[in-house]
Amino acid sequence: MAVNLLAIESSCDDTSASVLQDGNILSNVVANQDVHQLYGGVVPEVASRAHQENILPVVDAALKKAGISKKELDAIAFTRGPGLIGSLIVGVSFAKGLALSLNIPLIQVNHMDAHVLAHFAEDPKPDFPFLCLTVSGGHTQIARVDAPDNMTILGKTIDDAAGEAFDKTGKLLGLPYPAGPIIDKNSKLGSALFNFPKPKVGELDFSFSGLKTSIRYFLQKEREKNINFIEENMNDICRSVQDRIVSILMDKLETAADQTGIKEVAIAGGVSANNALRASIKEVGEKKGWNTYIPAFQYCTDNAGMIAVAGYFKYLNKDFVGQDVAASARI
Amino acid sequence: MEWIVKSEIELPAVLKEMLETAGNRKKWMFTGDLGAGKTTMIKQICKILGCNDDITSPTFSIVNEYEVEKGVIFHLDLYRLKDLEEALNMGIEEYLDQDVYCFIEWPAVIKPIWPLDAVQISVQILDDSTRKILFL
Repeated sequence: MAVNLLAIESSCDDTSASVLQDGNILSNVVANQDVHQLYGGVVPEVASRAHQENILPVVDAALKKAGISKKELDAIAFTRGPGLIGSLIVGVSFAKGLALSLNIPLIQVNHMDAHVLAHFAEDPKPDFPFLCLTVSGGHTQIARVDAPDNMTILGKTIDDAAGEAFDKTGKLLGLPYPAGPIIDKNSKLGSALFNFPKPKVGELDFSFSGLKTSIRYFLQKEREKNINFIEENMNDICRSVQDRIVSILMDKLETAADQTGIKEVAIAGGVSANNALRASIKEVGEKKGWNTYIPAFQYCTDNAGMIAVAGYFKYLNKDFVGQDVAASARI
Repeated sequence: MEWIVKSEIELPAVLKEMLETAGNRKKWMFTGDLGAGKTTMIKQICKILGCNDDITSPTFSIVNEYEVEKGVIFHLDLYRLKDLEEALNMGIEEYLDQDVYCFIEWPAVIKPIWPLDAVQISVQILDDSTRKILFL
């Protein structure tokens, strides 16, 4: 008989629910205007109160879209952490309550592991062991993945995440938040005329705080000479910054691949939507003979589909948790 | 109090003095432009307080929780929050109400609910490596 799994994700801004059947994702719903139009009301922003308002319509929509009734569910997976505690509690409590009422097992999932395992949502899937660079607004790390339950962090950021570097650069340039997609778009029309320094940090670790500061001084100095510097050079500045961020990421990924000898290389997280990063991993991959993997965009940003995939691996191992499980901001 | 700090190496001594002066005041509000060094300062303060965790920017996560021997430290960044209501909705009061250190970046959005004894740190950029730090 088919195994139906419901997954819930509420670790930060987005409330999301997904239904998976025998390893295939049937639905992956993130709270947004569409969901709310169905039920009336507007989308609340950041915060646990927003998750409380979102969770029922989102779970309901995920079940309906999958054509599965809650009585057909075999287990419920949820994000236990890391994340914002108030937000996590909403998803964890909901998962526990529903599992208790349906008398089905609970599966806890680590949000960061799930980003990596998002690669198993669709073909092509990487072979073990593979390397995964996870880049988002809040995270930047390289992991060596030997099995779904065996990952080793080889390097991570010591200050800002790569996505934050994009967003804060945008702030300095007067662009709206989140600035990543706009910088990506502007970069296509610009050239990398300006040079920003590479950080000096441990072999596989990242640092983006110094880059932010150097961009700040650069803009300040140029604007003293020409007050319209930013407006007149927007595309070139965007391209220069983007190229630098991508080269910082790719250099470390290349080093990790060289050191481990692993040729299965993947990227994950919201920033993997960036066109320059996608192009760069393909180009470097071809040069180095890697097999490269980039998940579909809906599995890159925070979503319950990846929680479902990670949860299914645990379901197969009967790795369940009891009703005494609690959300954890740091795990 | 006021300090002129010429490089990151001078920071620990200044921060130790701040911690002593602050005594039992545990809610610290850090203001200063992007790139002024707020996260860098908080990183060093947490180290002085005996924290061995990796201290990174909470701009996206809003709250980072670090372990120390006697409990936790909260590192908050309200940069992404638009108004006081959003801060209340994310549970800001639950962090402020606990008797633990809260180091808060971009705290202007919650100014109406700052504790009366909040420590105020303002970091001003003088040049590439020099900062003026005000402590209230």
